[in-house]
Amino acid sequence: MLIRVAGGEIIDPVNGRNGIGDLWVEDGVIVDPPPGAQPDRTVDATGCIVMAGAIDIHSHIGGGNVNTARLLLPEHHFAHLPRPGATPLSNLGWSTFQTGCLYARMGFTTVVEPAMPPGTALHTHLELADIPIIDKATLAVLGNDDFLLSLIRDRASSEMIEDYVAWTVASTRALGVKTINAGGAAAFKENVRTFSLDDVVPSYGVSSRSIVKTLQAAVTSLGVPHPLHVHCNNLGVPGSADTAAATMEAAEGVPLHLAHLQFYGYGKEGKRRFSSAASRLAELVNSTPEITIDVGQVMFGQTVTISMDVLRQYPARKNAHPKKSFIIDGDGESAGIVPYRYRKDFYGSLQWAAGLELFLLIDDPWRVFFTTDHPNGAPFTAYPALFALLMDREARRRTAENLSKPALALTTLPTIDREYTFEEIAIMTRAAPARLLGLKDRGHLGQGAIADIAVYRKDRDIEKMFAAAAYVFKDGEMVVEEGEITALRWGKTLRIAPEPDKAMLRRMESYHQERYGLSLDWFVFPDWAIDREEPFGEVPCIA
Amino acid sequence: MTVAWIGDRDALVQDAVGHAARLLAESWCPVISIDADVDGTRAAIALAGRVGAAYDHFDGESLARETALVSDSGGIFVSAGEVRRRADLVVVVGALPEFHHDYLRTLAETAPDLAERRTRDFFLVPDRGNDPPPAALDGQVTRLACDGADLPATLAVVRAQVGGRPVTTPVTNFERLCDALAKANYAAFLCSGHGTHHLALEMLQGLVSDLNRKTRAAMLMLPESEAGWGGTLVSGWTTGFPMRTGFAQGAAEHDPWRFDVRRMLGAGEADVHLWVAAREDSAPAHANGSTLIALTKTAEPVAEAAVTIPVGAPGADHDAVLYSSSRSTFVGRTAGAPSQLPSAASILKAIMEELPVKMDTRC
Repeated sequence: MLIRVAGGEIIDPVNGRNGIGDLWVEDGVIVDPPPGAQPDRTVDATGCIVMAGAIDIHSHIGGGNVNTARLLLPEHHFAHLPRPGATPLSNLGWSTFQTGCLYARMGFTTVVEPAMPPGTALHTHLELADIPIIDKATLAVLGNDDFLLSLIRDRASSEMIEDYVAWTVASTRALGVKTINAGGAAAFKENVRTFSLDDVVPSYGVSSRSIVKTLQAAVTSLGVPHPLHVHCNNLGVPGSADTAAATMEAAEGVPLHLAHLQFYGYGKEGKRRFSSAASRLAELVNSTPEITIDVGQVMFGQTVTISMDVLRQYPARKNAHPKKSFIIDGDGESAGIVPYRYRKDFYGSLQWAAGLELFLLIDDPWRVFFTTDHPNGAPFTAYPALFALLMDREARRRTAENLSKPALALTTLPTIDREYTFEEIAIMTRAAPARLLGLKDRGHLGQGAIADIAVYRKDRDIEKMFAAAAYVFKDGEMVVEEGEITALRWGKTLRIAPEPDKAMLRRMESYHQERYGLSLDWFVFPDWAIDREEPFGEVPCIA
Repeated sequence: MTVAWIGDRDALVQDAVGHAARLLAESWCPVISIDADVDGTRAAIALAGRVGAAYDHFDGESLARETALVSDSGGIFVSAGEVRRRADLVVVVGALPEFHHDYLRTLAETAPDLAERRTRDFFLVPDRGNDPPPAALDGQVTRLACDGADLPATLAVVRAQVGGRPVTTPVTNFERLCDALAKANYAAFLCSGHGTHHLALEMLQGLVSDLNRKTRAAMLMLPESEAGWGGTLVSGWTTGFPMRTGFAQGAAEHDPWRFDVRRMLGAGEADVHLWVAAREDSAPAHANGSTLIALTKTAEPVAEAAVTIPVGAPGADHDAVLYSSSRSTFVGRTAGAPSQLPSAASILKAIMEELPVKMDTRC
């Protein structure tokens, strides 16, 4: 079917389009205007902004830890359905079904679950396969597992470590690799309670820095398109900016992605010894071209924190709201689920402002990514309100009026006038994520791209505009019309498939048999386990 | 086509499916009890959503206790693999289901390779003071019992003593426990919702939390039913809720008392009961006037069932994804003895196709 999206304001930074025009779609992909052809369907986009479908690079949407949060907090979901939209707890979007629909409604068509423990990869993929409409991807987490730490301790060859990383990524069907407080979960199992970049995991004598550097080298050498995705040490503590800065310095010219930098944007100034260091981090990002970051913006209200940084989540239990939490020491990696309410008090205000400082002080929209670290900083349903804060300084000023003045005085936010343009939004949420993840077929509206298209009716109320797209196309099929889901379909989970040496397979079989008393078959899964037609889409590695 | 039964008369499967669909469509309060693999559970929940049914695990009481521990208070947990590799102190709390005894035996026969100390100490807090230890640990285990006290009370005494608080009736062998805790790098407390009071599970988590102030300890929950725990995980992501969820109002609602299917059947609240049973040795809950639709592996009609449709056992007759407590997650199991029997999921999807109103299926 030939579709013409007519008369919209097309914003496609990759292809240099920024103005009124038409977009043509045929057989699920964007095509050049066919001379003389008549469309089978014309969609009137007059008065609308037309962009590629948005891509979220870091959102905890599925897997064992997300599901535990559901079981821990049934009352949150209970509040979800019967309540009107404006009330608290109304928009956490818990089930896989709701997750896909709510994302699609906002014009998002690809979402990355950034934290898959390799040992529970099947569970993650079962959930991702049940999220409708959007495409998904996930990052395999390494850095606390005995096998890798032993290889580093024993000074194994880089080829052997690359084989292990390749085996993990391939067998778990991941798009890339993440490390979370590298070594911290292993150290916590040995009763270590604080863990910084140069601390060592006691039994292995291996430092967090060496784990990060080892994984960065392996990911780069294997040609994994997405740089190593790093959740730094010391998340959330006063002075954590020093750790983030040291981690950036450790990149040493090789690409590195730092996740939810807002949660490290804290100094020790002021009488509470808790201040914003976001402007310092933003300057560092600006001057370190190999670094990309996502923000992890905090928005106010109830949420639940889901993190494999168990060393952080364990002490966070004391601030749980409501007063319950779940800590799990897993095979290799661990996790903690702690519900939390961000209040408009000193601490909440400072976190809110620090995130916005990062967005607004990092100059290059190709290197700063739009996330709330869903649901850790806020549910992804807060995105429309966040777009408004970025694009409208008056919206920021109005919100700030009700926040802690002492907190804001410890930030630079009140002095920042920058407003994001639509083009910058299109870069940050479409073009740049596609480039960062190695997804050449999306993030733009050029000929040959898959027809993932978001059409927003222009409105002075930016939040309203981004909350419910006028039209959304996924692979050329209209799935949203006037903010309502009109078609359900199953997207793919995007993965890379590096090939490890066969010797590594034999070694893994022997390791699992010896250490767990179980065949490797119990740790990997066959394709048939995902009950969908073609559940996976393969993304090529860099040659 | 495989034979099914309407009442005790032979029928084509497609006719039995149609009859089941009519019974469910005409029901005013259908319930579904589930004991299935991932696909079977997803299909059963999708069907529940279509016909406004409540669903539960077929023997939901133990599962409800295990779920309530997570939903009411949470806690500090550990995976089975990590216990095997790291725990140098293992405390078995209450009676564990028989099928977990192989795992206990493995713990008894192996050393924790990630622990500084390559040996394990075993303790037992029995359900009742004189209960024998599991045979797998016979001769290795030290008993912690408190004269005349039940399990929750005994655990309360252990917790008080560990916390240095005075008690009138101390547990037996407490000094040995103290010594073991002092030596241990990682203590694992093994328990199950199987016959263990909810308060005992909470008290145990309190003890684990106390211990973690200075050392490392965690609970390993070994579920009473692997299919039950797997089912509640599937229920979590498909509806947002654990088992004991209903669609009577259209949207999913969770209420551990109201949607206790066994209770609903006993009280005569339900008029149609769809029983999806992966295990060959199970039997449906008491009907109390409700009409039974049975999906189970059987060679003959289930007694008093209006419809019986034979289905294969997951992982035996057909490939299946199942929860494994020894892996603490899902595993794919290829069919051990492939057969022509249809999967429960395929029959449930066929029933959905026969329902009068077509709509998008969510699962």
